[in-house]
Amino acid sequence: MAEAENTFRIPIGPIHPALKEPIRLSFQVEGERIVGVEIRTGFAHRGIEYMGMRRNLIQVLYLAERICGICSISHPIALTQAVEQAAGIEVPPRAQYIRVIISELERIHSHLLWAGVAAHELGFDTLLHLTWKVREKVLDILEELTGNRINYAIPIYGGVRRDIAPDQHPKVQDTIRYYRGLLDELLDTFLRDPSVEARTRGVGVLEPEEADALCAVGPTARASGLAKDVRQDRPYLAYGELGVKAITPRDWGLEPRGDVYDKIVVRLLEVGQSLDLIERALLEMPDGEITSFPKIPALLAHLKKAHGEGLGWHEAPRGEVIHYVRLEAGVEEPVVWKVKAPTYSNLMSWEPMFEGQEIADIPIIAASIDPCICCMDRVHMVRDGSEATMHKEELLRLSREKTRRITDHGSRITGLGGVR
Amino acid sequence: MKVDQVLNVLKAALGEGLAHTEVRVRRVGAKAPVELKEIWAEIDRDAIVPAVAALKALGPLHMSVISGQDAGERIELLYHIAVGYGTEGGEVMVTLRLAVPKDDARVPSICHLIPGAETTEREKIEFLGVEFVGIPDSRHVFLPDDLPVHPWRKDEPEMERFLRRMVEWEGKDG
Repeated sequence: MAEAENTFRIPIGPIHPALKEPIRLSFQVEGERIVGVEIRTGFAHRGIEYMGMRRNLIQVLYLAERICGICSISHPIALTQAVEQAAGIEVPPRAQYIRVIISELERIHSHLLWAGVAAHELGFDTLLHLTWKVREKVLDILEELTGNRINYAIPIYGGVRRDIAPDQHPKVQDTIRYYRGLLDELLDTFLRDPSVEARTRGVGVLEPEEADALCAVGPTARASGLAKDVRQDRPYLAYGELGVKAITPRDWGLEPRGDVYDKIVVRLLEVGQSLDLIERALLEMPDGEITSFPKIPALLAHLKKAHGEGLGWHEAPRGEVIHYVRLEAGVEEPVVWKVKAPTYSNLMSWEPMFEGQEIADIPIIAASIDPCICCMDRVHMVRDGSEATMHKEELLRLSREKTRRITDHGSRITGLGGVR
Repeated sequence: MKVDQVLNVLKAALGEGLAHTEVRVRRVGAKAPVELKEIWAEIDRDAIVPAVAALKALGPLHMSVISGQDAGERIELLYHIAVGYGTEGGEVMVTLRLAVPKDDARVPSICHLIPGAETTEREKIEFLGVEFVGIPDSRHVFLPDDLPVHPWRKDEPEMERFLRRMVEWEGKDG
């Protein structure tokens, strides 16, 4: 091939505009076209699993909560389920519902955060500010229920640490009403805006066969039309009773194309799905205990005697989180602790998504899987990788220029399809 | 997808290669708990490829992750694979456990069957020092390429000291 003459290499990162987190993407380009990409991760590796295997399980819970700031309940939920299976601990019904409510609230705040980032990458900062402004409301209710905007410290082995009091119910219902009223407006602003459509339709396409072969998870897989959602496929907690169906662009009346537009569709519709789930869970939540081990020393003693292994999973906002734990009797720390975050599974899907696209589309495609590098890396060591030649400002400028170019010529926007 | 169906397919495909199977039951749900069954199977090292091929023929396959452990003389790998996504409660979690001796830590790669398994296989190369025969790309994922040790191996005292130095800032690992 003649690629030796015409192909150039553009390394981006380890500091990258779309990610706000370190990763290095090395692109091969011919003119404006991307013909290949090489991904190097590990810049945020902190050795969390290694640390966890040297601490007692209560300390591990704190570590799990801090794997990621955005999905700070997803990892503890997967971990507690793994340990509960390994140690044979039952979770009271009310605690299961509380876990569901907090995780769905987390999904809302995570998807809104992503929508804002996506708008920013496209150059619609007004939309970014609107989305992040309305996101505050869900953070407020999380603070009301758990005491924190992030790192909620809710799940513990055998239950949850805080109950939802009767006087808090109206506040949660208020929040649900607030977002219900707002969701149509958000859907309208994102999905019926010709500029958003022009920048995202046909961009960063992941074919369903590729999504399946590469084991993509979460909205990344669902936007390609795969009905893949852990809450539906392998029910856990109260999700089986609440009845969750995987959301694909078909729920919006569109045939899935697997592009960035479809990823927006899926995430926004999931905000609505989470609202329904929270409302039902709040209504149907049974009374009773919130933990089967009210006293921590008793819990620690039980865990120290436990011998076995377990798997725990959860559909985090970005997709499947899975934890494997092995406990040995007489040992306080887990003998094995393996954490798998959603971005870990979606990493390989980036390659087909980038291929054939333009340099100016890099930020939005990179952002489209909603990557969470700290989740995936779980680790450290920044030494190599000082070859960032394309600065983030430059890339962001390119992306925004493209939007401007498109919007300045209104005639090019119509007829791209998508919204009916 | 039913657990028995998956078990039968595994038995038919592996024969002697399937050393042991166990169906674990998980009670799921709050008000009216249902039983969710999982398969935990022990297989021979060479049975991993036919096992995955058999599961793949059965329905949509999702490779969750491979976890592993330094178990003294051997390295143990656990393949967590879910088969049959797309229907409510229709996915079966299968865990395939295999062990390789440390002086011959080689496993056939399953990337030609599930391309998405590459990341997790590469991770096991750097963390446990296992070799995956036939993997398209064996570079490190998370650790620097020149890191001299495999962090999850317990048989190198030098590594323990090396890693301790790295987490020294925490001040509590003494």
